[in-house]
Amino acid sequence: MSHLIHIELDRLEGSLLRILGLIERRGFHIDGIELFDLGETKRGLNVTVRVRDAGRTLETLNLQIDRLYGITRLDADPRGATAKPAKAKQEARA
Amino acid sequence: MSNQPSGAQLVISTLKALGVETVFGYPGGAIMPIYDALAGSGLQHILVRHEQGAAFAADAYARATGRTGVCMATSGPGATNLITGIANAYMDSVPMVCITGQVGTHLMGTDGFQEVDILGMTLGIVKHSWLVRNPAEIPAILAEAFAIAREGRPGPVLVDIPRDIAATRVATSDAATFPEWTPPAPDADALKAAEKLIGQAQKPLFYVGGGVEMAGAAQELRDLVARTGIPLVSTLKGLGTLPTTDELALGMLGMHGTRAANNAVQEADLLIVLGARFDDRATGKLNAFAPNAKVIHFDIDRAEIGKLRKADVGIVGDLKIGLPALNPKVGPIQKWVEKCKADKWEHRFRYNAPGQGIYAPGLLKTLSEKAGDKFMVACDVGQHQMWVAQHCEFPNNRAHLTSGGSGAMGYGLPAGLGAKLGRPEMHVVTVSGDGSFMMNIQEMATLNRYNIPLKIVLLDNSSLGLVRQWQQLFFEENYSEIDLSDNPDFVVVAKAFNLDAFRITHRHEVDAALDRLLAAERPTLLHVVIDPRENVWPLVPPGASNADMMEERWDEPLDSY
Ligand SMILES: Cc1ncc(C[n+]2csc(CCOP(=O)(O)OP(=O)(O)O)c2C)c(N)n1
Ligand SMILES: [Mg+2]
Repeated sequence: MSHLIHIELDRLEGSLLRILGLIERRGFHIDGIELFDLGETKRGLNVTVRVRDAGRTLETLNLQIDRLYGITRLDADPRGATAKPAKAKQEARA
Repeated sequence: MSNQPSGAQLVISTLKALGVETVFGYPGGAIMPIYDALAGSGLQHILVRHEQGAAFAADAYARATGRTGVCMATSGPGATNLITGIANAYMDSVPMVCITGQVGTHLMGTDGFQEVDILGMTLGIVKHSWLVRNPAEIPAILAEAFAIAREGRPGPVLVDIPRDIAATRVATSDAATFPEWTPPAPDADALKAAEKLIGQAQKPLFYVGGGVEMAGAAQELRDLVARTGIPLVSTLKGLGTLPTTDELALGMLGMHGTRAANNAVQEADLLIVLGARFDDRATGKLNAFAPNAKVIHFDIDRAEIGKLRKADVGIVGDLKIGLPALNPKVGPIQKWVEKCKADKWEHRFRYNAPGQGIYAPGLLKTLSEKAGDKFMVACDVGQHQMWVAQHCEFPNNRAHLTSGGSGAMGYGLPAGLGAKLGRPEMHVVTVSGDGSFMMNIQEMATLNRYNIPLKIVLLDNSSLGLVRQWQQLFFEENYSEIDLSDNPDFVVVAKAFNLDAFRITHRHEVDAALDRLLAAERPTLLHVVIDPRENVWPLVPPGASNADMMEERWDEPLDSY
């Protein structure tokens, strides 16, 4: 089963590699990616992922992506009912 | 020349403004502007003799002091030499900022001399990293780097600074300050749910990891244990959070844990997991781990909750705030507690090993008792590391510095050096093995240069003992590349580095040698010759359940060691 993860992120050095590397390292295939522009400081990324290693859950993967610095929004499968926005870590600090 | 500061000067002034006192590092071409600004700045720089030493020293400085460790290195080989240390800090969640020089921006991407993509190489082992493109941003980036390193679940942060960026002068009024950070309070409903589960449990058990001391919550934990009377098992990193001598402390769980701890986990009906992450060395076969237990999992990192074991109650937030708020009405658990204590007594370690050779577990126990409240150990990796964890008493937290998640041989000596600089009032002892010691042996030169009175206990079994033990037990005694019987004379080597050094080979020499070591005011190495056939017991075979421990014991009178 594949899942779409919708991510909004700050434009930071290495940010795409950081996310894609994490997804593969944490036991998922990447079946598709789509990038879109969200202005000068942000961009959007849709990644379609599929579990590779048994015992890995999409929920944990989402949390692992979300704890990266510079992720401002993360919706797992926005087509589904489970979508929940994540708080920007920079805001959480204030 | 203008009076405007260069990027390099901003690096130094920002580090000072952020309260950094000590930096571990090694210079080179791409980082020369920063070393130029460092000279005469008042910032203490410790010149190690290998960049890996700088990273390990900064890591241990952080663990020992609770402050963020700082290391720096030049581009290319300097930066890659840091990598093992960065991974080590990442695996054990240690706050560290690593500054690397990079080739000039015009050379980046051209295979310039000493160019490596250190940012790309370390993506998977940092909390975050920057490549600085604008010198004016240096104060803000460094302040943010320090904030990220220590906030939430701590970890290493890398800041890569190209040579031209460091050399450029800029107008900036940006004085760096730490952004305020309020640790997130745990959810009150989750705490209530946890209290309810604890109240219903008949066999509750704390499972404490390194996260508690990293949250500065050791005292809060001790109070919680005292008020609930619930027994406790600890991970490798959690040892000392509750004094190991406490009657409710059942010891370390897992592969080389105590039988009492593993038994308790297997029997418990509730595990209260605090700042721990179900590492495979702790759990053994995961689906046989704590088969009867419900789980309360409390951690600052919500990505850990449910990662490997489903939590019946997950609590996300700061342990220092959350532990005092836990006030469960504990049920009638006396029988369970008595059973745990009886188990601890029955399976206590024996020190009456046959023969006249030095029994390392006994030596380590005595060492920790003699050093008492001031004991702090920086460990290497191998059998000696497991013996330290099993046999040393730790009355304090932040006193057992060990490479846990990463298991990096070579940690011990630079870690001891960093810890001693951070906590000069402690008896800091590096416990190393003959294999591990050789991996960063050059750091004896650093001890000598700064006259750091580190104490070194080198447990020499002329072999890669832990690997030999596995080959003996699990590979049919097919000994492959574990013999180190051609080791150099470590006493001579240490003396060549201007350390004091002496050797013992017999059991009756142990007491006097430890006294001499603890009284030493100079860096001193005690070379301890031990029997290569000695193994670490008990042991859970790889892939087995923690219920299946292998053990060896002598049925002789006790306490004759
Ligand atoms: C950098 C690194 N390389 C290899 C290993 C694998 N390893 C784990 S323990 C060990 C043997 C350590 O030998 P020594 O330091 O003499 O300790 P002993 O087990 O003999 O006490 C080895 C090779 C490791 N943990 N780290
Ligand atoms: Mg050895």
